[in-house]
Parts: sequence; C-alpha cells; structure tokens
Amino acid sequence: MKKIYRAAVLAAVLTIFAGVAWVQIQNQTPKRYQAQFFDCFDTVTTITGYAKSQEEFSEKTKLLWEKLLYYHKLYDIYHAYDGINNIKSINDAAGKQPVQVESEIIELLKLGMELYQKTGGKLQIAYGSVLSLWHDYREQGINNPAQAQLPDQKELSDRAKHADMDHLILDEEASTVYLADSKMSLDVGSIGKGYAVSRLSEYAREIGLEHALISVGGNVCAVGAKEDETPWLVGVENPDQKSSEAYVCAVELSDAAIVTSGDYQRYYEVDGVRYCHIIDPATQMPPNYVSSVSVLTKDSGMADALSTALFNMELEEGMSFVESLAGVEAMWIGKDGEIRCSSGFKIHEEK
Amino acid sequence: MKKNDIILIGILLALSLAAFGGAALYAKLGTRQPQAVVYLKGKEKGRYPLSENITLEIRQEDGGYNILKIEGGKADITEASCPDKVCVRQRPAGGRGESLVCLPNQLTVEIENGGEDGLDGSTN
Repeated sequence: MKKIYRAAVLAAVLTIFAGVAWVQIQNQTPKRYQAQFFDCFDTVTTITGYAKSQEEFSEKTKLLWEKLLYYHKLYDIYHAYDGINNIKSINDAAGKQPVQVESEIIELLKLGMELYQKTGGKLQIAYGSVLSLWHDYREQGINNPAQAQLPDQKELSDRAKHADMDHLILDEEASTVYLADSKMSLDVGSIGKGYAVSRLSEYAREIGLEHALISVGGNVCAVGAKEDETPWLVGVENPDQKSSEAYVCAVELSDAAIVTSGDYQRYYEVDGVRYCHIIDPATQMPPNYVSSVSVLTKDSGMADALSTALFNMELEEGMSFVESLAGVEAMWIGKDGEIRCSSGFKIHEEK
Repeated sequence: MKKNDIILIGILLALSLAAFGGAALYAKLGTRQPQAVVYLKGKEKGRYPLSENITLEIRQEDGGYNILKIEGGKADITEASCPDKVCVRQRPAGGRGESLVCLPNQLTVEIENGGEDGLDGSTN
C-alpha cells in the first residue's frame, strides 16, 4: 500500500508541475496582435503579427508606423513638410529647377518609369495635370452631389499635353529630379502606397517580425506565413456593395502581396453615372472595362502599379499581358460580377 | 486510514485535473464567442458579443460620433457625423475578420471569432 501511496503523491506532484509548465508555455508562445494607424496615405493601416507581449508588439509597430509615415510624407503631393523635399516640392519646382531628394523618391520614380514602358503607358506617374482636375471635380461632386459635373473635355486634352514622361528627368548621381515642363506634375498615387508597403515589409523583417500581414488600405503584403506556417487568408472584396456577401473569394498569401484596383470605393456620380478615381491616360476618362482587378505577386509596389495598369486595359488585353509576365497573377471581376483568373491564380478552397 | 488516503489523493488528483481542464475550456469558450471589438485611434475601447442586440453611441471629445447597432448577429454603423458616410454605406459585418471603418472619426469595428472561414485581411 505504501508503494501506491508514494506513486499517487508523485502523480499529484507531476500533475501540478505539468500544469505550471503548461501555463508557462502559454505565456511564452507568441500571441497574435493587431495595430492600426489612420494617418498614413489617407487610409487605414492594419498590421497583424505575433509577439510574446503587447509591449513587444507595440514597440515594433511603432517603428513601422514611423517608417510608413515617412513614406507618406515623401510621396505626398498636397502638403509640404519641414526639412524634407517630397513629390510636392518637385511639382512646385516644375520648369524651374531640379530638386534634391531622398533615394526613396528616386527609386519610386524609377519603378514608375519602368512600368510606364512595360504597360505601354497605362501606368502614368507624370499625369498629375489631368488627375488633379478630376480630383477637384470629384471632391466637389462628393460634397455637393446635386451640382456634380464632369471636367471639360477640351481642358482635359489640353492638360494631357503636359504629361510627357521624357520631361521627367532623374539625375541619380546628384539625387535630383527635374520636371522640364512647368505645367507638368507627378502623381504617384498609383504606386506610392504599394512601394512603401514593399519597403515596410522588408523593414518588418529587419526588426524581427517574421510573420506579419501588413494592409495599407487594402494594399496587402504578407511577411512570411502565419506563426503556424499556414498561409494568411485574404478576402477579395465584392465590388457589388449592395450584396450581403462581403468577399467574392479568398486567396492564400505568404511572402507575397495582393493589391486591388476597383471602381466602387472612390468615385462620384454625375447624372446617375459613376466616375471612379482611376483615369485612363489614353482617354483621360475613367475606364469602364471591369469592376475590379486584383494582382498577386511578390512585390507590393509591382502589384499596386499593375493593378492600376490592368484596370485601364480591356480584359483580354490585360490577360495576355499578365500571362507574359513571370510571377504575376491576376483576377478580374467583371461589371456583371463574373470572375476571371489568370492561369496561375489560385482561389482558396474552403474545407 | 490508508485506503482513505488513497481515496483522498484520488479525489485531489481528479479535482486538479478537472480544474485544469475547466480553466482551459473556459479560456477557449471565452475567446471563441463572436464579438464586435471597437477601436478608436487604434486603441481598443470595448467588446460586445454579437449574440446580444444593442445600440451603441460612440462619441468623441471633438463631437464626432458613430452609432453602432448590433442586431441578428451582425454589427452595422447606422449613423455617423463624418462627411463621407462611407462607414454607413458599408454592409453589416458578422463574419470573422470582417470590419467596419470610419476614417474621419478614426473608428474601426473588428469582428472576432465570427462564423465564417477565418480571414486575416482583405483587399479592395
């Protein structure tokens, strides 16, 4: 009987130890946290990741926020900031003199120039003259829907003459940018956010966040997979805002980015017709081909740029363009809600 | 006496195991309940189970407000002070990973542990 007694005591002690150990492990396993900022790129930024404690996570997301805010300021076309030359500084000096800028601006503009070539001009970063006119009419139309108007066609085509990419002059050695046409201006809205997210995901790794999902207004970039090595699941929003289905499908994301361009979020209406914020450089008008295009690829800057370019292309033209690119996949949602995918685009299947 | 000792130890063992199991189960149940989590300027302000119908007025010092209605297992912003009303136009959220956002008022409502297949984010 004494043996049983000892064994029982031992078992009780072991159980308690196991319990304590279990609690310890629970405390040490990284937990999932989320942080949000509202002051970058006029949208909501959500960072999801893992850390041992809220403090550790906050420390890291604070660094990410500072970095993102820095990019926000660099790529801002509306506001000037003390001590830094940004895109607005370049625009303000158009036709006057070159402006010295940080390498983050040079690199962004180089990406923009490369994609202008690749997309046959469907991605245009020197299109500020036309975009700003649409922007003003859109703002007025949103604030006062009864008075909503379209920009004058002649003014649009006059302004479109001041968007020659050859007049965007980079001097990498001197780190300067010069716009050789005084009526020309840069608008990097189609690539700035995506490029910043791409750099931010690299920075996340540097500061030890190996599993994170960064979303800046739907520009989504996965750093690694989730903590358990399964991919992040990202929903693609349903362009039909009246439908009760929030997402048309989900995609799996690890070490990759997905960006969507659509006509259903930023737009205004004139006489019952919707005019979205993306403008086709070929027509100076919002394109009317599809409701949304999502681009899935490694680099978030590339995904951002390509989603805008594809939104400006007819579906078939866009499809063959995507198929010609390595490591790029896309999904189109038509005006009728029909979904089309490039050959390698995988939709997550629910179990 | 010895027999009683064993019984006592047995009961203690069973109790401690039950306590661990119970605690673990409780922790799981507690976090699994679908709920709407309200964040203002990125800071958590409150959690509301989707199982209880409730109308909340979320007011801020600057006079900005959003009215959040939880009904039928979904959260919806029905009224707001913001100029664009994008948050009011958003469809009610009830699935896991869904959210409501009011950018001007810096308000987000995230659904945790909702019914649908768990999404980690969304692109639009």
